[in-house]
Formats: sequence, C-alpha cells, structure tokens
Amino acid sequence: MVMLIDDNIIDLKINAKIILLSKLFGEIIQFQSAEEALNFLHHYRNQPEKLPDLILLDIQMPEMDGFDFLDKYKNFPAAAKEKSLIAMLSSTLDFGDIKKAEANPYVLKLLKKPLSTLELDKIFNAYFK
Amino acid sequence: MTRSPVKVLYIDDEENNLLAFKASFRRQYEIYTANSAAEGLKVLQNLSVEVIIADQKMPHTTGVEFFKSITDTYPDPIRILLTGYTDIAALADAINHGDIYRYITKPWNDLELHNSIKNAHDAYRAKIDLRNKVLELEKTNDELNRFIYSISHELRAPLVSVIGIVNLVKMEGLYHSSGEYWELIESCSSKLDYYIQKTLQYYKNNKNVSDKSQIDFQRLVDEIIDLYAYTDRDTTFNVNIKQPYQFMGDAFRIEVILGNLISNAIKYQKSSEQNKSVDITIEVSSFAAEILIADNGLGILNEHLEKIFTQFFKTKNNKGSGLGLFIVKEALNKINGKIDVSSSLDQGTTFKITIPNAG
Repeated sequence: MVMLIDDNIIDLKINAKIILLSKLFGEIIQFQSAEEALNFLHHYRNQPEKLPDLILLDIQMPEMDGFDFLDKYKNFPAAAKEKSLIAMLSSTLDFGDIKKAEANPYVLKLLKKPLSTLELDKIFNAYFK
Repeated sequence: MTRSPVKVLYIDDEENNLLAFKASFRRQYEIYTANSAAEGLKVLQNLSVEVIIADQKMPHTTGVEFFKSITDTYPDPIRILLTGYTDIAALADAINHGDIYRYITKPWNDLELHNSIKNAHDAYRAKIDLRNKVLELEKTNDELNRFIYSISHELRAPLVSVIGIVNLVKMEGLYHSSGEYWELIESCSSKLDYYIQKTLQYYKNNKNVSDKSQIDFQRLVDEIIDLYAYTDRDTTFNVNIKQPYQFMGDAFRIEVILGNLISNAIKYQKSSEQNKSVDITIEVSSFAAEILIADNGLGILNEHLEKIFTQFFKTKNNKGSGLGLFIVKEALNKINGKIDVSSSLDQGTTFKITIPNAG
C-alpha cells in the first residue's frame, strides 16, 4: 500500500495514476494534508498490517509541511516506523531542502517531481523486493 | 527642514578654555564640555554627539589616547584635536591611530575653528547618510532576490505538474494520439522549466553566503551525468578523476558550474557525429581542483569566444538561453575560481576550470 500526502489535488491525481500504471504497489491512499495523514497513521499505529508500505510526502504544504510531519512521525511506535518507509516528493530545487530531507533518518530519498517510474522502480528494488 | 543644532563635545583640562569656547560658540552649537577624558566618556555614554574636540595635553589621558580608546565604542563622531604646541609625534600618532579629522593649534582662531566644526559636521552627515543608503540598498536587494526566488518556486510547481501529465500521456500510449501537439507541449514545458531553473541558480548564486562542505568529485560527476545524459543516450563519457586529497568547497556553486558545462557538452554535439564523446578530467591537489571538460561537438566561432560568458549572449543556430555560461562565470567569481576556454569549429570545445581548495 502506498500513501500519498500532497496539498495539491492535481499532483495527487497524477502521482496516483503513475503508481497505478507502474503496477509496483497495490492499494493507493491519498491525503490532502499532513494532519489527516497523521491521524490515519495514528489510528493504526499498533496494527502495522494496516499501515502503508511506502509514504510519498510532499514538502511545501500549508500549516503542517513535510518536515513538521517528520517531526511528529518520529514519535510513532518502532514497529509502525519499520512498516511505513518514507520518500519525500517535491518540485524543490532548494539545496537546503534537499540536504535537510536526506539528513532525516526516516527519509529514504528525496524524489523530484514529476515522479518517474524509473525512480519508483529503484525504490521498489532497493526496499521492497 | 530645520535641523536640531549640532552637538559638540569639548574636552580640555583648562577651565578657562572651556568657558571661552562656550562663549564663542554657544549660539551656533549645542555644547557639552568636560574637563577630563573620563568626564568626556560620561557625556558620550549619555548622548550621541556629532563632533568631539579634545585638547592634546591633559593629565592622565591625552587627547590622542582618548580618541584611540573610543575608536571601537564610538566610531561615528568626527574628531578634532587641539594642541598648544607643534608636537610632531602626537600629530603622527593622531593621524595614524586616532582617526582625527582636523588638527588645530592653540590659541584657536574662532573663524577657523567654526569652519572646522561645520566641515566636521558635514563629514558626519555624509558618513551616516552613506551608511543608511547602503543598508537600504542591501535590504531592497535582499527583498528582490527573495521575491524572484519564491516566485520561481511558485511558477515551477504547476509546471512540473504539466510535465507529469505529459509523462502519463506517454505511459498510456497517447503521446501520438493528437498529431504533434503533445510533443509541442512537452518541448515548451521543458524550455520553460529550463529558464526557471537558470533563474533560480542565478539568484541563489547572488546570495553571498557560501557554505563549505566536503566534495566527492567522482560522486558529483556521476550524479550530473545521470541527470543530463537521458537527453542523449549515444554520448560516451570518459571520466577520469584523481582525488587523493580531501576537497572543501561550496557544494551548490560547484554543482551549478559542472552541471552547466557538462549539460552544454552534451547539448552542443554534431548530429552527424558517430562517436559523440565528453571527456571529464579532474585532478585535486591540496590547493585546488583542476577540471577539464572537453567535447568533440560543434565548437565555438573564434569571434564568439570572448562573448560566451556575457549575459543573454546567444548564437543564431543554437537553442541556448544565453544564461548557462554567464551563471558559470558568476558562480566562479563568487568562489575565486578561474575558467579558460579553447575551441575550434567542428572539432570541439575544452573548458578548463580551477577552483581553490578551501580545506
């Protein structure tokens, strides 16, 4: 299962479709804010089987941005964090953002928008095979 | 506009001089007097004066010693030294260390002293005005940079969505479904994205902060080739990197420099060429990194060579923006690097870059 978190509804649509066409993952769930996504994760924090395998997290979002999300995420139970791996997904070219994302222990990688199947393949082969 | 009178502080151990000074100038200036350096300092601590006049010969602290002692704490007031005799040593010391504006001998001539105070005040105003102007300019510049930077980000987000949609069209096999329209949308979008990226690079380079981090040239070059080579799969890269020393430098600017040069080397190939190649040679010493980027592409006309680093210089026949090499040059300026180019038409171009090792 993949969880998409992005305030932009068009990007949610595009990325969901790309993941669907890649056939690498099963179910796709979408959230338009980091807060809603956190509520979902919190609800199932003790049932790892109901948690997504991969979270694709946007950086620039109103109110709670991607980095704020990560701050909250680090307090989740270890089993939940082991189940749900995170990749950030952003159109940023900001060196600071890129460095900050890659320095975060819960972030596998910062993917650049538009999401490409090639990058998705790489993540799948490295972590989900 | 009426200005408040100029505030003048006069320090002298002889009470008579203080009284005479007050009598002569109290109508023109707001006068504060002190009979020792210590008393003078107390005045400075309580209000900001514009001109300080001090007698050289005072017990405990001389006028020059006093001026020296306040160079860091009160740098703004303009200083005038008064002395009763010609003391060359004191004079030299005053000029070299006390930041003295005028040197006046005692007994003073009222008109001369009055003119000196007036000039000193003008100098004070000029100094303060200049500083305010510089601050103002820095602020405007900073705002402009931040504005361009954030607007570029905002423009790029929806553009990247468009490129994502074109990718989806390709994945679903619809790319050729409407004649060449999708292809045109794709080429316009990537051109726009290119301009936005160059704008961002330019404005980021304009910011003065330069960070120093460790640079692994092999990794950096591999990443850049990975990023740009998808535009042209038939170019051979010969990468030869010798890095026996640790290299410290500005990661952002070095990536911008190498990225622009390598993507140019890929872009300006001859379509007829069977063996397109780009050679990248980097040698790192404890002083500098010497980088050679050579291609066997189109080459540059001799008369164009000196113009290629100018902003918006383009040639008729190619698809450049006139920004890439300009940004390279600007980025090198910021990190004290050098660039040389040699080229012959139809044979290829070689760029040689030297970047100092900050480690």
